[in-house]
Amino acid sequence: MLWHNFKYSLKVLLKNKILLFWTFAFPIILGIFFHMAFSDIESSEKLDVIKIAIINNEEFDRDMFSKEAFKMLSEEEKIFSITYTDIEEAKELLKEEKITGYLLFEEGVNITVNRSGINETVLRYVVDEISSNKEIMTEFYKEGNSQMNISELKGNIKDISKENLSYTMIEYYTLIAMSALYGGILSMFITNYKLANKNAVGKRTSISPAHKGGLLLGSLLASYLVQVVGLSLLFIFTIFCLHVDYGNNLPFMILLGLIGSLAGLSLGVAVATLIKANENTKTGILIAITMLGCFLSGMMGITMKYQIDKTIPLLNKINPANMITDGFYALYYYEGLNRFLMNIISLLAFSLVMLLLSYRGLRRQKYDSI
Amino acid sequence: MKNIVEVKNVTKEYKELKAVDDLSFVVKEGEILGLLGPNGSGKTTTINCILSLLNINKGTIKIFGKIMKPDAYDIKKDIGVVFQEVAVFEELTVYDNLDYFCGLYIKNKKQRKEYIEEAIALVGLENYKKFYPKQLSGGLLRRLNIACGIAHKPKLIFLDEPTVAVDPQSRNNILEGIKTLRDRGATIIYTTHYMEEVELLCDRIIILDKGKVLAEGSADELKELANMDEKITVEVDHIKETVIEKIKYFKNVHEVSLERNTLIVTYKKGKNNLSELIDLLKENKVTYSKIFSERPTLNDVFLNLTGKELRD
Ligand SMILES: Nc1ncnc2c1ncn2[C@@H]1O[C@H](COP(=O)(O)OP(=O)(O)OP(=O)(O)O)[C@@H](O)[C@H]1O
Ligand SMILES: [Mg+2]
Repeated sequence: MLWHNFKYSLKVLLKNKILLFWTFAFPIILGIFFHMAFSDIESSEKLDVIKIAIINNEEFDRDMFSKEAFKMLSEEEKIFSITYTDIEEAKELLKEEKITGYLLFEEGVNITVNRSGINETVLRYVVDEISSNKEIMTEFYKEGNSQMNISELKGNIKDISKENLSYTMIEYYTLIAMSALYGGILSMFITNYKLANKNAVGKRTSISPAHKGGLLLGSLLASYLVQVVGLSLLFIFTIFCLHVDYGNNLPFMILLGLIGSLAGLSLGVAVATLIKANENTKTGILIAITMLGCFLSGMMGITMKYQIDKTIPLLNKINPANMITDGFYALYYYEGLNRFLMNIISLLAFSLVMLLLSYRGLRRQKYDSI
Repeated sequence: MKNIVEVKNVTKEYKELKAVDDLSFVVKEGEILGLLGPNGSGKTTTINCILSLLNINKGTIKIFGKIMKPDAYDIKKDIGVVFQEVAVFEELTVYDNLDYFCGLYIKNKKQRKEYIEEAIALVGLENYKKFYPKQLSGGLLRRLNIACGIAHKPKLIFLDEPTVAVDPQSRNNILEGIKTLRDRGATIIYTTHYMEEVELLCDRIIILDKGKVLAEGSADELKELANMDEKITVEVDHIKETVIEKIKYFKNVHEVSLERNTLIVTYKKGKNNLSELIDLLKENKVTYSKIFSERPTLNDVFLNLTGKELRD
């Protein structure tokens, strides 16, 4: 029964041009657009040195870690050009737009900027990184490690070195996230066919002696396969035609792709079972959810991801598009696997929740109204 | 004869509306039972209740002598359903649709192939095996819908208005096919609001209205309920009230009605009613364009029982 359903679900999915467009063609087309739009930006706006000011007060003077970090970022990495000054002058400089922003160390770091743009985002991002690294180091220090280890700090700061701060990468990550989640259209479509209260064919399968579990499993496996093939095509296309560099953690990238697709599949199943609407509306809903998720996780610019991470962190914590995007991001920019694994676990949890929510609707065989 | 389906005191309510109201009936082995009723009388709901697709508020349903439940797979394997709406995959060909649905019942591939070919022959789709549903005309699509419901050779078949929107030729073809299924030993429940079809096809008829059994029996038995034996319709040019009075005095006449130019005379029984009426019209110099005599139809039965027509 499993095989029978797998085979025919595959036939059904591969015959449906609209489904194939959204899962196969659309991400690739979007990728081409990104490529055209960003290859210009990449070359022209390749990070200039960002001019900032730091208020040279007592707190900053005491903060060995930050002092060391900013020194390194300006002297070795050439990300910043720093003026150490007092607050009045810093304000003046900002007003005259001679600097992007200034930092005031007063019970933590306060950033003051005028506008929002790429430079501002980078500044925020770097300050965040330094702060979180500082916390880790301070913990380490407290636990009896007598010397704060500057060479370790260097390793961490390397992560935010200049060539790594490429903005287009995040767009391609969101593209992968989008493709993985769009796979939900396939599982939604195929699940609909199994529900007697949604679809006439569903009625026909419901009255057959075939067990619903086997029917569903066979069909979902088929939709997953199509989804993964679509995602692989996107990978191959972006790597070989658009020359996107995803780093060299291939096994982990594959793992992320597979689990991201699973999240998409679960989302599709949930939309099919939980939402009362016709198929086109459901497709629309799924596309809207995915697009919004991708937007929030930085599809139209990393600033958005940064802002959401900063202001409404919960939103991106439950946003599957962000989990995928952030997973790639973590693989590329971070030395350890912690952040990456956190995203993998979040994706698995998301999938589980979606499937649990759908469970009742999927198991159901008798209805009050059909 | 065994009871294949037993429906006992079944009630199904949708919010305010009682779609099926304390309904009881049985279906006997090897018969074609017609469920006849106007739109919204509860035919489809009844079938969905019997199939355990719908929760019922009250009552019991047995099929093959066993209680019907969603997981009664041993019952389900012998049931075939032709739903009112066409239920096929748009993305699969005629043959693949049949193979998919039949495959839910018949595992053996060789046997399945034979069954499918038989079903295709039964509904006359031999030349369309590779067609997609979109490429089929309405009638052909209905035939595919039927084939998908019966290819696995079920012992009990439900057909919910399978001939709606089908041209007369396709319809005859479908009706012949249904008779063939019965002759092969299947028990059939057939719903429709075409009274001609049930008369032609069904061994027994249940007339439904508002979810209740209005009357039950063979076509001939039901016609007794029409309270008449013959109906004569005359298209008159003009007729005087006095002549109508005269017609009423004939001994077999049950009712006379005149609406516009149509005169309808119904008779309880008797012979030569038509010639008697023609003579009278001639004597009174009533001219007419058309005159014909009919036996009562199930519509007249329905009309007599409910005061409304079977079809709007
Ligand atoms: N899902 C539903 N929710 C609410 N009311 C419903 C639902 N399905 C059917 N009904 C109502 O139940 C009644 C019986 O409907 P049903 O479909 O069984 O009629 P039917 O005899 O099959 O009619 P038709 O000849 O048009 O197919 C109708 O009044 C209908 O409006
Ligand atoms: Mg109906």
